Amino acid sequence: MLELILLSLGFSCVAGVLSLVTSKAHAASKTIACVGGMGAAALSFIGGLGALFQAATYVSWAGPMPFTNFTLLLNPLAGLLIAVIAALAFVAWLYGLSYFDEYYETGIGVIGFFMNLFIASMNLVILADNAFWFLVFFELMSLTSYVLVIIDQTEKSLKGGFLYLIMAHIGFLMIALSFFAMASATGSLEFEAFRTHAFAPGIATLAFVLAFFGFGAKAGMVPFHSWLPQAHPAAPSNVSALMSGGMIKIGIFGICKVCFDLLGAAGGEIGWGVLVIIIGAVSSVLGVVYALGEHDLKSLLAYHSVENIGIILLGVGVGIYGWAAGLPWLAAIGLLAGLYHLVNHAMFKGLLFLGAGSVLHATGTRNMEVLGGLAKAMPVTAVCFLIGSLAISAIPPLNGFVSEWFTYQGLIGAAMDGDIFMRIVFAFAVVALAITGALAVTCFVKAFGVTFLARPRSEAAERAHEVPAPMKAAMVILTVACIALGLGAAWVAPVVSSIAGSMLATAALPVVEGVTLVSLDTVSVVSPLIMAVLMAVVIALCALARNAANQKAGVKSDPDTWACGYQADLSMETLASTVGANVKTFMGPLYAIRSGVNRAGEALSRLLGRALEPEGEKAPAAPAKPDAPISRYDRDRTVGIAPAEQHAPALSNSVLSVVSDLGAWFGRMEGGDFRTYIVYIVGALVFFLALIILVR
Amino acid sequence: MTIIIAILQAILLVAIAPLLSGITRKIRAKMHARTGTSIFQDYYDLAKLWKRCEVKEGGSSIVSRLAPPIFLGSFILLAAGLPLVMQACPVPILGDIITVLYLMALPRFMFALAAIDSAGSYTAIGGVRELLVGVLVEPSLILVLFVMAVAAGSTNVGVMALSVANLSAYPFVAVVVAGVACAMACYIEMGKLPFDLAEAEQEIQEGPLAAYSGPSLAMMKLGVSLKQLVVASLFVAIFVPFGAAATAAPLELLIGLAVYLGKVLVVFLIASVIENAVMRVRYKFLGRYTWFVVGIASLSLVFLVIGI
Repeated sequence: MLELILLSLGFSCVAGVLSLVTSKAHAASKTIACVGGMGAAALSFIGGLGALFQAATYVSWAGPMPFTNFTLLLNPLAGLLIAVIAALAFVAWLYGLSYFDEYYETGIGVIGFFMNLFIASMNLVILADNAFWFLVFFELMSLTSYVLVIIDQTEKSLKGGFLYLIMAHIGFLMIALSFFAMASATGSLEFEAFRTHAFAPGIATLAFVLAFFGFGAKAGMVPFHSWLPQAHPAAPSNVSALMSGGMIKIGIFGICKVCFDLLGAAGGEIGWGVLVIIIGAVSSVLGVVYALGEHDLKSLLAYHSVENIGIILLGVGVGIYGWAAGLPWLAAIGLLAGLYHLVNHAMFKGLLFLGAGSVLHATGTRNMEVLGGLAKAMPVTAVCFLIGSLAISAIPPLNGFVSEWFTYQGLIGAAMDGDIFMRIVFAFAVVALAITGALAVTCFVKAFGVTFLARPRSEAAERAHEVPAPMKAAMVILTVACIALGLGAAWVAPVVSSIAGSMLATAALPVVEGVTLVSLDTVSVVSPLIMAVLMAVVIALCALARNAANQKAGVKSDPDTWACGYQADLSMETLASTVGANVKTFMGPLYAIRSGVNRAGEALSRLLGRALEPEGEKAPAAPAKPDAPISRYDRDRTVGIAPAEQHAPALSNSVLSVVSDLGAWFGRMEGGDFRTYIVYIVGALVFFLALIILVR
Repeated sequence: MTIIIAILQAILLVAIAPLLSGITRKIRAKMHARTGTSIFQDYYDLAKLWKRCEVKEGGSSIVSRLAPPIFLGSFILLAAGLPLVMQACPVPILGDIITVLYLMALPRFMFALAAIDSAGSYTAIGGVRELLVGVLVEPSLILVLFVMAVAAGSTNVGVMALSVANLSAYPFVAVVVAGVACAMACYIEMGKLPFDLAEAEQEIQEGPLAAYSGPSLAMMKLGVSLKQLVVASLFVAIFVPFGAAATAAPLELLIGLAVYLGKVLVVFLIASVIENAVMRVRYKFLGRYTWFVVGIASLSLVFLVIGI
């Protein structure tokens, strides 16, 4: 199976280079990149799936220096991640066959090259079993995705990309420190050495916390989430799907790998689980609350990634807690929930980003305020987006429900065995998850309703058309995956359970009886398949009865909306900001936290900035001229909630302005030339190599 | 065998939902010192609507057509799964609390979407408010169910009912306080005053349903009545399971049925008396009431963790 994946990596590289070489011939370059990428994705998908049912494969090639042994490990967890990323990559490329037509002018060869490289580097991060190579590929993944974020070269994308680059490196630094902490205790950079070494509790906790925050920054958890809603939406939509659905899962993978694998011999601490659960709970609530404030469709989806990472962390946190507390069944159900949600989130978030891309393709805008009524013009997109919305809102019997069900069972089961403190923690997590669920329903009613329903609110929305066949096919594939992972849960859950079992080195927890999912510790069962059949029957009966009554009495159509005696017009429609303002009525404090923290962050960054920046150095920037509004609904509403950029959260904000001041300071040494940056990267690598040699 | 009970129970709930709603209207009229309509008025209304011609709005999409069957169908399914006449769940796969809560989200989702679909501001505001009431109730409801799940050792409603009926749910005080909080949460979820946002006055009259007519409206109205009954039954099933059949013996089932009907009637009587004794408040003050309920639910959590 490893051979298949390595072959796919070669395929990606060749396709990427060929696409770059032929970049003058736009169509050829696009086709080479997409078809090559699809081929590579198909290969690694098979390889990843195969690895789920195999024992781990371990290979190592000696490198020029002792710490550069090129070691790869393909275990079931890595196989799962590779399969998920491959599935997303496949649909992203398929989607790109049409979607990239718009990128001919911005350099299709560059996209083809970097996207192929990006996917290959993600696979290599997952496979790498040596700290040095892990970090190299991690860095490659960040850089290639950075190029994809800034491909549009608009002010927004450059800013988002810059923020992303900084946060990725903050994360990188923490991960590197974590590995160095482990390396200094074992004297080797091989993961195999970490794995077999029983670290002192202090070192283990230090390594875990650093790795957790480092990978968490990559995953976009609170408080390191701010880059995500600015960076992911800036990329082409299918790349956003790949980043939000795939790349941030590397963060989760890293957390799991460090905790259960690298620190496996050392054993965990209950405190780690508590940390993960609390951060997960906060991420899930804040992610969805801030998503409700957005009226940019892609930013909204990006905030939902923060939310879903939180939900995944809840599952993983229960896993860590159960593992550390010596409750293997709890560890298994927690990991099962987390990993299942990881797969599910990849599918529905990929689908929703592709749907948003289709909206963008058809109308030229992502601003929900000026859309509306798209369901009639683009029925396939609308149905796919609706199913994605239902899935992400965890509506039974779709896939989001199954994994959230397991998450709840894990949390409640853990509470049954927990002491006073743990019961409060788990109650907090359960309540957070419930609020998240209810708010997610609200948010996706808003996202789908405001975009696709009612009447078009601008010319662009009126002229919308259905997207070309490859884009439709890509969305349909993911829609089918969402349904299949829900209805087929009885066949998927045992596989995920066996992965969790392999991570914990225990027998797989039995979670299925026939077509029913069982949670033994909470004595409960659910069956998405049977529920789906029952729902279909009952709803169909209701619909038939209603239609029969309609047939008898007739149906008339009235072109006008009944507005209680007023003349209905477009200004009466619900906008995204209407929903946002309503939510703010009740969730005001949560938004106030954000602006309060931001003010503190701004003050801090001003303080730091003043220390770094000579007086009167900077000329005041000319205020940017706002784009002409597309229609009269396109305006920032003070009643609603201002979009993310105006509220760039504290941590990143202060970091961002310090770095941008530093950048201005260094600006004299380099002219913003890309070649200089490459020199920096090489310099950084040399620095780290030197550091490692010194440490040894 | 139990599947037949489930089907019968769903049919029963659909059949009596308009009656309970009619009784509520009668009580309101009596408390207003009016004669009021017959307690069967809801049946007459539904029958009349069922025979009417339906008017579709030009701007609305398939979502508006799909919403009524999904709305009613989801609650029928919920009605089939709860342990009402029996202490155990007639269909165990529908009896998990998480399943119940998330299955209740589907009708809410469709209801609000249909409200936005009709392109009128009144309907849409009604729909969004309906969603937000859900958001506000969810924390207290889940907290109560969490306490019950830990107390009973299961997330299945049937097992919870059984442990309450045997008085084996531990700790006792936590369960009682949870019951109080659950009653309040269910009261809000039933959409009674001062939380009756879906049916505010005048211009937001029948808010989210303004665009519906004919059989679809009838289906929505039936769905709303059924929702109230299902929510009341959820409370009754978990916290007042006494008298429900322990086995599937016919006599016990008959007693269970009679007791169940008595219990929901009492719940509806109490709810409608409260409803008519309180004033309507502005929507934005809703949060204060729900935070109060969250407070009581948290109290039950405190009792749970300290074990009294």
